[in-house]
Amino acid sequence: MTGLSGFARRTERTGLAGLDGLTGVSSRLPRSLTPTAVVLVAGAVIVLVYGQQYTGSVFVLAACYAIVTAGMAVQIGFSQQIAFSQSVFMGVGAYGVAMLNTHFAMPVLVATPIVLVGAGLTALVLGSVVTRASGLALAVATLMLPLIAAGYVSSAGYLGGVVGAPLTGTLWPSSASTSTTVIAVAGGLIVVIFLAIAVFVASRILTSDIGLELFVLGVDERTAAAMGVRTPRRKLELFVLGCVFAALGGAAYAGTQQFVPETLVDPTSELALLIMLFIGGRRSVIGAVIGALVIQYLQGASNWVSVNILVVEGVLLTVVLLVDPEGLAGIVNTGMAWLRRRRGAASAAAGPAASVEALAGDAPSAAKAGGQWAAGHVAPAAATAAADGGVAAGTPLLEVRGIGKEYGGLTVLDDVTIRLPERGLFGLCGPNGAGKTTLLNVIGGSVAPSRGTVILDGEDITRRPPDERFYLGISRTFQAVHLIKGRTVLDNVAVACLASHTSSIVTRVMRSKLDDARDKAARTLSDLGMRGIQDREVSSLTLESQRMVELARALAPNPRVLLLDEPASGLSEEQRHRLAELLTAFGERTCVLLVEHDLDLVAQVSERIFVLSSGRLVFDGGPADFRASPVVNSLLVGR
Amino acid sequence: MKFGNLVIAGIVTGSIYAVFAVCVAVWYRVSNILNLAVGDFAMVGALGVDNLYRVKGLPLWAAIVTTLAVVGAFSYLYDQVVLRIALDGRRQMEGIVVTFFFTFALSFFIDGVAKMLFGTDVHAAPALWNGASLSWGSLHLERAGLLVLACAVIIGGAFWVYIRYTLGGKALEASGENAVGARIAGIDTKRYRRLIFVGTAVIAAIFGIVESPITGYTYLSGATISLTGFLAAAYGGFRKPGRALVAGLAIGVLEALLGGYVSAEYGDTVLYAILAALVLAWPRGLGFESAVTQ
Repeated sequence: MTGLSGFARRTERTGLAGLDGLTGVSSRLPRSLTPTAVVLVAGAVIVLVYGQQYTGSVFVLAACYAIVTAGMAVQIGFSQQIAFSQSVFMGVGAYGVAMLNTHFAMPVLVATPIVLVGAGLTALVLGSVVTRASGLALAVATLMLPLIAAGYVSSAGYLGGVVGAPLTGTLWPSSASTSTTVIAVAGGLIVVIFLAIAVFVASRILTSDIGLELFVLGVDERTAAAMGVRTPRRKLELFVLGCVFAALGGAAYAGTQQFVPETLVDPTSELALLIMLFIGGRRSVIGAVIGALVIQYLQGASNWVSVNILVVEGVLLTVVLLVDPEGLAGIVNTGMAWLRRRRGAASAAAGPAASVEALAGDAPSAAKAGGQWAAGHVAPAAATAAADGGVAAGTPLLEVRGIGKEYGGLTVLDDVTIRLPERGLFGLCGPNGAGKTTLLNVIGGSVAPSRGTVILDGEDITRRPPDERFYLGISRTFQAVHLIKGRTVLDNVAVACLASHTSSIVTRVMRSKLDDARDKAARTLSDLGMRGIQDREVSSLTLESQRMVELARALAPNPRVLLLDEPASGLSEEQRHRLAELLTAFGERTCVLLVEHDLDLVAQVSERIFVLSSGRLVFDGGPADFRASPVVNSLLVGR
Repeated sequence: MKFGNLVIAGIVTGSIYAVFAVCVAVWYRVSNILNLAVGDFAMVGALGVDNLYRVKGLPLWAAIVTTLAVVGAFSYLYDQVVLRIALDGRRQMEGIVVTFFFTFALSFFIDGVAKMLFGTDVHAAPALWNGASLSWGSLHLERAGLLVLACAVIIGGAFWVYIRYTLGGKALEASGENAVGARIAGIDTKRYRRLIFVGTAVIAAIFGIVESPITGYTYLSGATISLTGFLAAAYGGFRKPGRALVAGLAIGVLEALLGGYVSAEYGDTVLYAILAALVLAWPRGLGFESAVTQ
């Protein structure tokens, strides 16, 4: 009781700066439409007022770059897929439009979609190779792209070489009689529309269910895969998205500047784009746009600042990152949160007492909660099946057959065979290094066995990746807590409820299913008596609560097989009691394989126990035999 | 003897990459930060000595000592002010991404200051060892090239001995592997971070002074040098200075051979394509995964 109701007493929300607006429940539609509207209106006003002046031309140039950085905010900032491909694809867009315009006399507006499709296909081919790499390998491999492109462009005669490629056409279709004012203003407005589209798509992605997936992907690829995120596909989609946005920015650049300099593709341009992104705020779309505007204005200022732009950029980036790693967007968010707190503090004087009471009433003991959970979920037909108890009876749900695993010359698992029925709680014990976690990883799919097969419900899933196994009903927790820092408890559980494996990154731009997932997550949390903490940021929780959140996340998708890796480690005696009651409830509902060092806990809750030693299965029996077995005692108890 | 001369030229360029790769790798090992500004210190070394000697008329030795002192003082100050706030402050910077951008900003800043002070023209520090190039039959080696090689051997060897055989080297390694653990064991991780940061900055500056007579530097040369050093370090898994050294040499030789036999124009393009293919084909072997996941 104390632990869970304890959460309720500490319910002050710890909103995370820079992520505000993404962490809370955002059922209000304007969340993602506001930036688009702001960009559209403000951009149009600036172009209409300053269109034919120098300020206007600087703004339009900045808007071209902002289209690119908006894509980078999704790809690099939010999803942390660091690929240095933007300047190259900006070049693809710009040179593509220039070539079609010069050699085929194609209007820029007609050439743009053709070039975008071409860029998308190129990115698809290139991406399917490079996105197989992760983290630094991806960064280093794509770092070659601007180097290769710069070398190629400077010596390719038909692209104009070091001179660059001029265009005769303009973004707004023009003839000799069209006035320059019309060309500048109409062209500027088109760029603003492009930018608004880019901002709309980018911010919709970030606030959708796919956005949550991408966030998890950015934090930890392995956890993401275990939560059903199709990581290879998402990484490829992100790469293509970043490239298409960059190509659109490049096309807009060519159409408005009427000239493509060869420096557009080289590494310096790539660095300049990254600086814009990081000054503006890497995880915020609107921040990325602001970053592009700020840098372009500084560069176009025609005074000491633009002459010494490198010094200014260096100092600005350092200072902004020192104040807030989330850039200008983060600084603004922190400021707004502070204002809101000040305003809220005055009005909510009477609030807290009432809300704590309500929440305390909401948080029953874990045992009661577990009972409710089981009662609410067990299907009527299940009772008879569970009564059988015997493992051998009927076809097993999960079967690992003759599993062997070697790392180099070291044998971690040796011919392990286990069959588990549809329901029940099964313990897996063994000394350190016995291969327990490896066996869980083999079942979960994050480790491929050297030999043997994993069969789920009669189907061989040995070669299936972890995300597919998740959708087949295998859910797991990790030995070390693998929660997604920076998101709320609710979102951490919602990740497992997304069921978005078949949808592409842009499918949910129009209709996000994030709220459905959050509803489902909220129900699971409520069933477990954890509603009081659902809006807390996960790293502010105690270890017990974090483990409970992991359990909730593993349970939320109603798995057929639940793999628990030492859920009791680090918990107190009292906390273990609560956990035991909860686990028993789980076992009545589904098939649970529990890896645990606490032998009393295992013997108390398991109906059957497996013991591994040096990768071999040395014991297999009920709790009574387990306690009496000389093998178990010599191995685990030391008697 | 085209092949022989290409290999010699490749080894000289390769040893430049190798030294910068070692600087990047050693500091990454101690701080888990990739230093993209290391090449800019080399540029400051070369252009600073040139400016003080040629324009201000200082004696060569004074110009060198002054430049190195400025580089050392500046990098010390940078560590004390920026890195201390960024890394040891209340809110520690998360992950490799953000910290990476601090050295990135530093690189921009140094380049900008160099542009103000030294202008945009190509300059080089005066050659330290004058005379015709050394020849053995048809093989040729510039005297400056020999100096570069000697420096590379001395610097690489010194780092190797330091890390492999001294207590300081072990402490340095511990700082990077597990900073908290190292601090518990009584190692002043901040001191090692500062020591290596200032040390690599000064080494880079020395190297710039020795090497610049061969290639000549502008205020923008630093980024190119850092980039190649960074790449070579990447192929050494970022943490292994020894492998970074070998990778740097190999990239230099490969570059020279591709330039000589494949195409002078597209040689670099082919080189980068090969390097990218290597990363993609063999990320684990190159040590990328260990550099990322832990």
